[in-house]
Amino acid sequence: MANGTAKPTGLAFSRETFAKLTPGPFLQAHLQQAEPVRANGRSLDAFRTPTINTGSLSHSNGSAVVRIGDTAIVCGVRAEVLLASDIPIPPSDDSSEDEMVEQLGLLVPNVELSTGCSPSHLPGNPPSTLAQALSYRILSLLHTANLINLQDLRIQYTEPPTDEDLPDEGPKVVTKAYWTLYLDVLCIALDGNPFDALWAGVLSALQNTQLPKAWWDPDREMIVCSPLASEATRLQLRHLPIASTFAVFSTASPIKARSEAQSWVLADPDDFEEAVCVETVSVVVTSEDDARESVLKLEKCGGGHVGKVEMGQCVRLAHQRWRDWQGVIGG
Amino acid sequence: MQADRRRLNAPAGGTAPPVFAALPNTKLQRQTRTRKPDEHRKLFLQTGIVPSASGSAYYEIPPQSQQQTELLVPQTSSLKITCTVHGPRPLPRNAAFSPNLLLSTHVKFAPFATRNRRGYVRDASERDLGAHLETALRGVVIGERFPKSGCEVVVTVLEGEEDGWWAGSAEGKEGGWGMMSVLAGCITVASAALVDAGIDCVDLVSGGVAAVVHGAGGKDGVLVLDPAPSEHDGEIRAACVVGYLQSRDEVTEMWMKGDAGMQAEQLIDEAVKAASLARAVLAETVKEAAEIKLGKGDESAVPVNEGKGKSKDVVMTG
Repeated sequence: MANGTAKPTGLAFSRETFAKLTPGPFLQAHLQQAEPVRANGRSLDAFRTPTINTGSLSHSNGSAVVRIGDTAIVCGVRAEVLLASDIPIPPSDDSSEDEMVEQLGLLVPNVELSTGCSPSHLPGNPPSTLAQALSYRILSLLHTANLINLQDLRIQYTEPPTDEDLPDEGPKVVTKAYWTLYLDVLCIALDGNPFDALWAGVLSALQNTQLPKAWWDPDREMIVCSPLASEATRLQLRHLPIASTFAVFSTASPIKARSEAQSWVLADPDDFEEAVCVETVSVVVTSEDDARESVLKLEKCGGGHVGKVEMGQCVRLAHQRWRDWQGVIGG
Repeated sequence: MQADRRRLNAPAGGTAPPVFAALPNTKLQRQTRTRKPDEHRKLFLQTGIVPSASGSAYYEIPPQSQQQTELLVPQTSSLKITCTVHGPRPLPRNAAFSPNLLLSTHVKFAPFATRNRRGYVRDASERDLGAHLETALRGVVIGERFPKSGCEVVVTVLEGEEDGWWAGSAEGKEGGWGMMSVLAGCITVASAALVDAGIDCVDLVSGGVAAVVHGAGGKDGVLVLDPAPSEHDGEIRAACVVGYLQSRDEVTEMWMKGDAGMQAEQLIDEAVKAASLARAVLAETVKEAAEIKLGKGDESAVPVNEGKGKSKDVVMTG
């Protein structure tokens, strides 16, 4: 009041109550300390360590269970046969092989979030915007990265020589069918940052995939496969891109001056941080043909606080994460 | 199959599952049941796998013997079920007043759960399982303590039990016997998740399944508990699932399929025995989980790097 020498005493609630009542200022108080730390105890650029288990599902050609902190996802890869004669519009001859994988639609990822993984994702509704967006992001990243060689997915047949063939022509090799890979990803538990975990799951499951040896049977006019594991081939991925997501927490508000706003970039946000952060940055780093690491994809949306300096920092952290993950995923 | 507009669909033209050729040299041998008729398979049950849900549990019956690795096709499947419970939560404003807890159950098979790929849209058999599960749980939850509230029990089957031997003939598989083992597992895992969520229950309900199998040449069928349909290809005559409360000796749910004839009562008794065996595992799991929870409450701040770290408290000044 008039003298006002005594500082107002702090409110004495528990941490959990503060976090529930005012999540924004709670996080801000953590970040504004001399040594900034996040509400979950991690430093600003610390990622959660992942755990990956592959091959646990018996009915899938490949499977992976990925746990990053409290986020857990299960990915199963199923291979089915698409006959070339069934394709209504065959791709044109001048499209490259990588484009053909996309045009034929041989990779079908689907993300299912309505499994009760968090209170906001309960079943009974059609896929939410987030689930559809994640499915599409994974599909576009799979095609951009050109992970799978079309030759691995082809089922070819060498036609026997007939009388009409010219004598010096080689045997004709015709593609009779293609393998279509259904990548079904289910989210068991969600604690923020679904995209990194989903992408890691898809990658590990594809690495773990075994395709049976298949051939065209001209008598039965169908594709027949061999059930022996010794004749199956493992899918080869060209390279291993790793995704890293960052969230940006800022104190900007319409009533304050722009220059007064502070912002912090948080690596691998969890559910609590995602709720208070608007801006996100997502970086996918890969290393093609053992060359230098390169950035495959860069996405930033939600705000304008990340400038060139912060973006450079994010990319550096993503490169570091790529190196850390090589041991886990196993190149 | 209708194209689902909200999901990424199969390529135009449709795909078919791979057809495997018969092996000329090796003869496929069906695994027969090596357990005694009243022996249950090993169960694995764990709670607390989804921290953001009110309660959760994971149930697994691992494969019995070492899977043959020379064949790409799996011989048997193990049963893997997860369950999350969200509740009690307030009902939406426009909902009618309800003096009891409104329990809603959802059962869904993952697309990779069965030998033939399933779709994402819930079909009739999954809705049927959901209805049976709700019957089993409704009898055990004390609903009147939670008026105007709802509770969602969401069960996801990551791998389901098969109806018969995959390489056997198609007859004898129409019974859908695999669903009964799945229902027994769903009841047990939902019960563990409800306890983990702290919802008041009268007792622990556990699921048990038993079957009448053709005896070797005899007219009377042999009663076995916890049948694995892939071990009894085409031999199962009838099966029964019960949801059983052991300390009150009550049955909340019973589902019998097939013709058990004179052995119907014995079949139910066998299923109750199977439920009691499952309950032993359930009780132990729940006790361990409770001990961990109470132990955590007693401990003073232990610094943890990952997860909610109890770093120095922050004082909010006004």
